[in-house]
Amino acid sequence: MSKAAIETVNLVKQYPAVLRNVRNRHPWMAWQVGGLREIFSRKKNFIRALNGVNLKIYRGEVFGLLGPNGAGKTTLIKILCTLVLPDGGEAYVNGYNIIKEPSRVLRNLQAVLGDPRGFDWRLSAKQNLEFYATLYGLPRDYAKKRVEELLDLMGLSDRANDMYQRFSTGMARKLQLCRALLLDTPIILFDEPTAGLDPASAVDFRHLLKDELAKSEGRTIFIATHNMWEAQTICDRVAIINRGEIIAWGSPENLKMYISPEKNYVLTIDGCCDALKMKEFMNEAFSLTGVKDLRLQADNASVRISIRVDKDFVFSEILDIMVKYGLKIKDVESYEPSLEEVFIALIRGGKRSL
Amino acid sequence: MINFSNLPVAVRQVIAFAKRDFRDWRTYKTQVITQVITIAIGILSWAINAVYRNRPVPEYDTDYISFLVVGLVIGNLVMPISQGLERRLNPWTLENIIMTGISIPVFVAGQMAWPYIFSLITFIPQLLIGILWFGVKLSINPLSTALAFVISAMILLGLSMISVGFRLVTKSTDPITWTINTLQQLLAGISFPVQFLDSFLPGISSLSWFLPQTWVYHLWRLSMLKAAAITDPLTQIECLKGFIFALILFPIGYRAFKWGLNRAKKDGTLGWF
Ligand SMILES: Nc1ncnc2c1ncn2[C@@H]1O[C@H](COP(=O)(O)OP(=O)(O)O)[C@@H](O)[C@H]1O
Ligand SMILES: [Mg+2]
Repeated sequence: MSKAAIETVNLVKQYPAVLRNVRNRHPWMAWQVGGLREIFSRKKNFIRALNGVNLKIYRGEVFGLLGPNGAGKTTLIKILCTLVLPDGGEAYVNGYNIIKEPSRVLRNLQAVLGDPRGFDWRLSAKQNLEFYATLYGLPRDYAKKRVEELLDLMGLSDRANDMYQRFSTGMARKLQLCRALLLDTPIILFDEPTAGLDPASAVDFRHLLKDELAKSEGRTIFIATHNMWEAQTICDRVAIINRGEIIAWGSPENLKMYISPEKNYVLTIDGCCDALKMKEFMNEAFSLTGVKDLRLQADNASVRISIRVDKDFVFSEILDIMVKYGLKIKDVESYEPSLEEVFIALIRGGKRSL
Repeated sequence: MINFSNLPVAVRQVIAFAKRDFRDWRTYKTQVITQVITIAIGILSWAINAVYRNRPVPEYDTDYISFLVVGLVIGNLVMPISQGLERRLNPWTLENIIMTGISIPVFVAGQMAWPYIFSLITFIPQLLIGILWFGVKLSINPLSTALAFVISAMILLGLSMISVGFRLVTKSTDPITWTINTLQQLLAGISFPVQFLDSFLPGISSLSWFLPQTWVYHLWRLSMLKAAAITDPLTQIECLKGFIFALILFPIGYRAFKWGLNRAKKDGTLGWF
């Protein structure tokens, strides 16, 4: 058994392209509207949702799958939950094959899918959880205790006896998490965990994931999100997925380096100095190894120099020259690309950019 | 002449809704045709029923009112089995339920449990009303009633698993289930013995015996009206015939259900309505 909590090998998923939703039509219509005939025919157009995904997620880490809408995030999560069958490749959860040993897989992993409709609307939160606790096969007394415990952990205790239909989006999400935690599995997946939550609830929820579930309880957390900031703040590692392909992976920090192996600085120089001296300085600075670009911006009060350098450029070299020319540095700003920029650059550039 | 533009706005708004729905309805040619068929079959079965009225029913050694009331009670008792699963299937909770890892038989039985318990609870009072108010005369053989229950449960579970299997994939009722359910109204002998159909169209009753539901009504009536004993070879033969339906439909149903589940997982439409 490998050390990976989740491992996928060349995972492929293609959906039939024809929408086969013939509900609300008459049964006999099913024969006509791309219905039964299409179900049994072999030739089809497909939408590739996953195109050979290889991932390895280690025990105890918070892993983020980052990608735009339609990239295949939900598909990957549902495959891991055994709710969608892949068309190619393999996937393992704690070493168990998701196709051959689905029940073992489900004892190791649970998910919060984010669909608020997954409960019975007219039952209370507690009744809903008790129902699922029984389905999970928890012994009666333990189930009762566990439900109380989880409602308490999520701060839902005082609303436990309210009908589920009266729950807000945030509460519904928390109840989903309660359901996912009933079985106490070592791995929890989240599909867009904070989508639809107000900023304060989102912060709380992230705190819960990172500090409670991951740090204190040592679970492996996998989140799919298109929220860069979220990935950057709570994930140990992220993978970026686009059109069903993983186009980059690593720690958020490393990813930034990956996309842009250069650094940007803006130096503000106090007061004016004469143009000739400035020009000489610029020439000398530009001749330093590692300097990619140098720009000057001047107004009455100050001069700003933007400089783009290789990431292993020795910054003191440029300071030395400045001292030589008697320039007084008022401010130095270093500027790094955010994960958001990395993300957009990668997606625009496709795989080529690596 | 009515000048439409002078009608109060509210009335025109109501008409707009009706017009929209009529136009929408008209686009579904098949639906229009099948709705007409459904209505025709309903009328036909009541018409035959009216012709039949108040004759004795030698097939089950009983009078018409007993035959009819028992038929309706059976309908209320056993038919929920075939509808319970399909009607109660909630695709939105389906994903969450599957993630608990429960087995298919448990899921199927679980979905049926409440509708069935409910109809069992109402079964006795319904019979009592039939007996006390309408003078229904029962002649029950408990053993063959139990056998009729088992056989019809298998038949109806099989049928309903088939339709659920299809529903998981197509999100609508499959044509075969629809056809069987529509025809049973006329042919399964709910309100008149199927043999009576032959007086309208000779030989049509033999078609009835190919409908699984016919066997459900038949076996229950044999055991509740005629007190058919299990030791009687004639009863045994009838039960055996019904059992053959059960033996065919139950495994097919299980497979169809599994097929539908797998197929929906392939299509990624498990949680779709
Ligand atoms: N059941 C389905 N049938 C057909 N296409 C689907 C189905 N589910 C998802 N897709 C398509 O697969 C692609 C990936 O979808 P999804 O995994 O939901 O992406 P994400 O969660 O990253 O937004 C999209 O193009 C989407 O339209
Ligand atoms: Mg998604």
